[in-house]
Amino acid sequence: MAKLEISNLTKNYGKVEVIKGVDLTVEDGEFVSLIGSSGCGKSTLLRMIAGLEDITSGSISIDGRVINDVEPKDRDIAMVFQNYALYPHLTVAENMGFSLHLRGVPKNEAKIAVEKVAETLGLTPYLDRAPKALSGGQRQRVAMGRAIVRNPRIFLFDEPLSNLDAKLRVQMRLEIKALQKRLGTTSIYVTHDQVEALTMSDRLVLLNGGQVEQIGTPMEVYKKPANIFVASFIGSPAMNLFDGILHRDVEQTFVTVHGNKILVPNCPKLTNGTKVKLGIRPEHLKYAATDSGNNIINMKVSMTETTGAETYAYGHFGDEAMTIKLNGEDAIKSGDKISLTVKTNLLHVFDYVTGIRINN
Amino acid sequence: MYMKNFKTVIGKTSLIFAVSLLLFWSLGPIYWSFVTSITPPNDLVSSELHLWPETVSFEHYGKLFGATSISQGNEVQSIWPQFSKAFANSLVTSIGATLLTVLIAAFGAYAFVRFTFPGRDILFYVVVATMAIPAYTVMIPLYRLMISLSLINTHTGVIFIYISAFLPLALWLMRSVYQAIPISLEEAAYLDGAGKTYTLMRIVLPLAAPGLIAAAILTFLNAWGQFMVPLVFSPTLATKPLTVLIPEFVTRNYIDYGLMNAAGIVAIAPPIILVVFLNKYLVSGLMAGSGK
Ligand SMILES: Nc1ncnc2c1ncn2[C@@H]1O[C@H](COP(=O)(O)OP(=O)(O)OP(=O)(O)O)[C@@H](O)[C@H]1O
Ligand SMILES: [Mg+2]
Repeated sequence: MAKLEISNLTKNYGKVEVIKGVDLTVEDGEFVSLIGSSGCGKSTLLRMIAGLEDITSGSISIDGRVINDVEPKDRDIAMVFQNYALYPHLTVAENMGFSLHLRGVPKNEAKIAVEKVAETLGLTPYLDRAPKALSGGQRQRVAMGRAIVRNPRIFLFDEPLSNLDAKLRVQMRLEIKALQKRLGTTSIYVTHDQVEALTMSDRLVLLNGGQVEQIGTPMEVYKKPANIFVASFIGSPAMNLFDGILHRDVEQTFVTVHGNKILVPNCPKLTNGTKVKLGIRPEHLKYAATDSGNNIINMKVSMTETTGAETYAYGHFGDEAMTIKLNGEDAIKSGDKISLTVKTNLLHVFDYVTGIRINN
Repeated sequence: MYMKNFKTVIGKTSLIFAVSLLLFWSLGPIYWSFVTSITPPNDLVSSELHLWPETVSFEHYGKLFGATSISQGNEVQSIWPQFSKAFANSLVTSIGATLLTVLIAAFGAYAFVRFTFPGRDILFYVVVATMAIPAYTVMIPLYRLMISLSLINTHTGVIFIYISAFLPLALWLMRSVYQAIPISLEEAAYLDGAGKTYTLMRIVLPLAAPGLIAAAILTFLNAWGQFMVPLVFSPTLATKPLTVLIPEFVTRNYIDYGLMNAAGIVAIAPPIILVVFLNKYLVSGLMAGSGK
């Protein structure tokens, strides 16, 4: 049982403010990802939860008890480090049993616990090896095992998969997720890989420059990005953004982009003639039957890429760069002029100045 | 292809040459000393140069270890009592200085790396900079200090001086050893429930062992070879080490080269034994395997 509450948390390194007032509640058993670009403060926030960095102001509490001044060793939080941080001079079994030994768990009990976890992680054959005699993936598992054996209140992960190759990363992603569901331990997972964040998490926290941009389920964040930052961060390729003017009359709301009329969802707060940013995801643009009318985007293709299953086309609409994601089978080449259409309910309208989402 | 082979041949040849030169440079005098120590006294003064004595004699060693011995045809008292006392003095001061220096450096350097306190780096560089001060300049003030502390001609006094002289080097060495240990290992230990002391003893020090051993070897060798400090601060046989005793085999009208070299050969035994034994633990790559 562990519910983590962070309120108005800040962190300064000297005069530099690295975390600027973060509020976050992680429910018991929840899996929450912290995601954001490099240097946005993900690791710092995680390390503050672990107690490895002190808190400038605000509070962190577990199950209602403020732990700001509790030593890391007394927080009962386990962390999987990006570089694994295995004790090189101890065997795999000793690495995993280190915390149990410290807690005074009897030797044979600890041995059983370590063996049980090793079993689930497929580490049984390696228990007597030194970490240096393991592959990267195996070390990663030992680091996981060391955290699991303790049965801590909270797991923290700092980009644990970033050193693995793509295939192993997918496999470990699934395994971590399954393990976490089975153990039901509250988990916070730092990553800058949006696929990891989207696939593993119950909820995501998008950080930017030490501030929370949005907190939500993967679907919420994808379907209703709170602002332009989130919109362009989540989704691959990134969302297309066009400058437009909002118009509304009695029956409809639409945005004009390069002379084309694009019907958008209701934007209750805006007045006629406001400048906006229109967001369209590359995967939501489809071939249109005609080249004029409502919701038409005329694209001039300048480059294409294919992965076999999918084809990406890069080009321009008017003078603005754009990308689309098509079926791998679709024949498209540079120089093509194509007409595309998009459904109104898939569109995103953002305030031109603040970048905040306007439509529902 | 040809050029490449040519280059490697040149490279190999010059490497072999350089290594031979270095070996000759460092082992030559030791060999010379050894040969001298097993050459009969009369052959020593012959003008011919021999790479190996015509007759091997252990007479000089006999003089060193025996109860009585012959010197220039007369039976004289053995110098074993003096020699063994000086040998013991050398051991006591060198081992004492080594243990204490390494102990202080192990904890001190850790503080310099992991604790933040005002003036930390400046203090460290000041300590290290003392290595640049020539010993001569501090001899007289040090002598007065030692007199006032009644530490002249004591093992403790000499050990103190050695520590103050060799600690900066050991600190410097240990600091870079600790800097090379990823802090995440310590953080992992804290999160596993270990306190600071436990982490230092069980995680950091074992990983720093090669550094500690290197520091121990350096300190021991430095202390063992010290001449000037004991010459001033160890005036009597109560504390006089080998380095000061051996040159005293030079008497007014006779230089006993054979004896000096025999003593010298015996005197280099402890450092050699130490290095050979500790080298086993100087395994590199102990850090491998902690991370990705
Ligand atoms: N000891 C420090 N002193 C000053 N600034 C620091 C210190 N540690 C981190 N920072 C700054 O704090 C910011 C956040 O760092 P942090 O390590 O949390 O980023 P991150 O989101 O984890 O990035 P990455 O994805 O690259 O790991 C960075 O801009 C970094 O330069
Ligand atoms: Mg980071």
